[in-house]
Amino acid sequence: MPDKILVANNIKKSFGFLQVLNGVNLTINKGDKYILFGSNGVGKTTLIKILSTTLSADSGELKIFGKGIEKRSKEIKNKIGFMSHEPYLYSELSAWENLDFYANLYSIKNKKEKIGSLLKEVGLYHRSNDRVGSFSRGMKQRLSLARALIHSPDLIFLDEPYTGLDIKAQDILNNLINRLNQEGKTFFCITHDISSSFNIANRYGILSKGQIVYETEGVEKKIFSEKYIEILRRESF
Amino acid sequence: MNAVKAIFLKELRVEFRNKQMINSYLILSLMIIASFRFAFSIIDFSITELASPILWISFFFGGMFSLSPIYKREIEQGTKEGLLLTPISPSSIYFGKLFANLFIIFCLELFILLLFFVFFPVNIPDLFSLLCIIVISTIGITALGNLISAISSNLSQSEVMLPVLLVPVLLFTVIMSSVSVTSNVFAGANIFDVLDEVRLILAFDVVFIAVGYLLIDYILEE
Repeated sequence: MPDKILVANNIKKSFGFLQVLNGVNLTINKGDKYILFGSNGVGKTTLIKILSTTLSADSGELKIFGKGIEKRSKEIKNKIGFMSHEPYLYSELSAWENLDFYANLYSIKNKKEKIGSLLKEVGLYHRSNDRVGSFSRGMKQRLSLARALIHSPDLIFLDEPYTGLDIKAQDILNNLINRLNQEGKTFFCITHDISSSFNIANRYGILSKGQIVYETEGVEKKIFSEKYIEILRRESF
Repeated sequence: MNAVKAIFLKELRVEFRNKQMINSYLILSLMIIASFRFAFSIIDFSITELASPILWISFFFGGMFSLSPIYKREIEQGTKEGLLLTPISPSSIYFGKLFANLFIIFCLELFILLLFFVFFPVNIPDLFSLLCIIVISTIGITALGNLISAISSNLSQSEVMLPVLLVPVLLFTVIMSSVSVTSNVFAGANIFDVLDEVRLILAFDVVFIAVGYLLIDYILEE
């Protein structure tokens, strides 16, 4: 019996008259590397924001680590990390200062060692003292990943993590995800880009018209791509 | 407490590294005081009577523009969600930003006070009382300004909405009392002679801080 660390039942969300999510059901098990694909504007970011507790759903039930998120408890927040396509970094602060700031908010002990090792891991140690405002999009993404991992979360949400990353940075990200997954961390990633992200995952889903319409695991890239294209074609009608 | 300190220090770092902002606050303050000087240079006036309103109008407008970006910046840089993801309470964000605002506005007021003494050489019988009143009143102005800055940061015209919401409330509460008390101090009174009005300003401080503390959770939520 897999250890369910996130269970979402019938999640609905609308903005005005626009129904973005229309009853999403999702279960993430411990150790999963789950990628949810979907075209632009289909509600992926809305869903990941709800799952990461930064946005409230209109209705539905969400349990993370067996607990409801109504109270947005400190315990849940300490266990989840979120790398959004917004890096959540202050451009006036240096890379080190940004991580130091978040380390203080998470009350991290041994923060110097932690920040140093994360900066080395994402390949930005040599730019520790440079202001984030001078960083490229890809460097901000890598630093954002370090920010998301500063408190060693058990469940890590990734929103379009490959956007703006060059091949070397993609490699760093993939290696980091695989290493952390071997240590027992769970990943939930959303993207529209099959080519760069498919190989890192072990579970896959497709979000279409506000619902997860297809889920599978251990499938070949070619077969999944065909299914994805078929759903995208249906979506446009 | 660590979170409040972390946010306080972060705000100061961001603010003081943004030289464009600091320069604009200083230039604005200089322009306000200089405008009063030139406006009153053509008429006969008693500096003791006008010193208090000139000082408080300068403090108020100088300070108001430094209040606007403190929450708006989190929206513009997309860092608000990053803060909400962390396990800190919204009140820590509120107090961290409030203390940072207070520090910035105190610095600005010190600058304005120096300019004021240069442009309007006035005798102050009791400097200690004047400084106490400035500190007490600034807490009220900043507490309410901080709260309204948080509310208006989600609005598209936040720079316009902040003064529209802030001026009417502050004018008839803290500013009016502060002008009255400060006038008495310039006329020779000390803080113990005007304790009733000082208590009123302190009451406003407590109310504004309490309202901010109670509402910040809902304001930051969406």
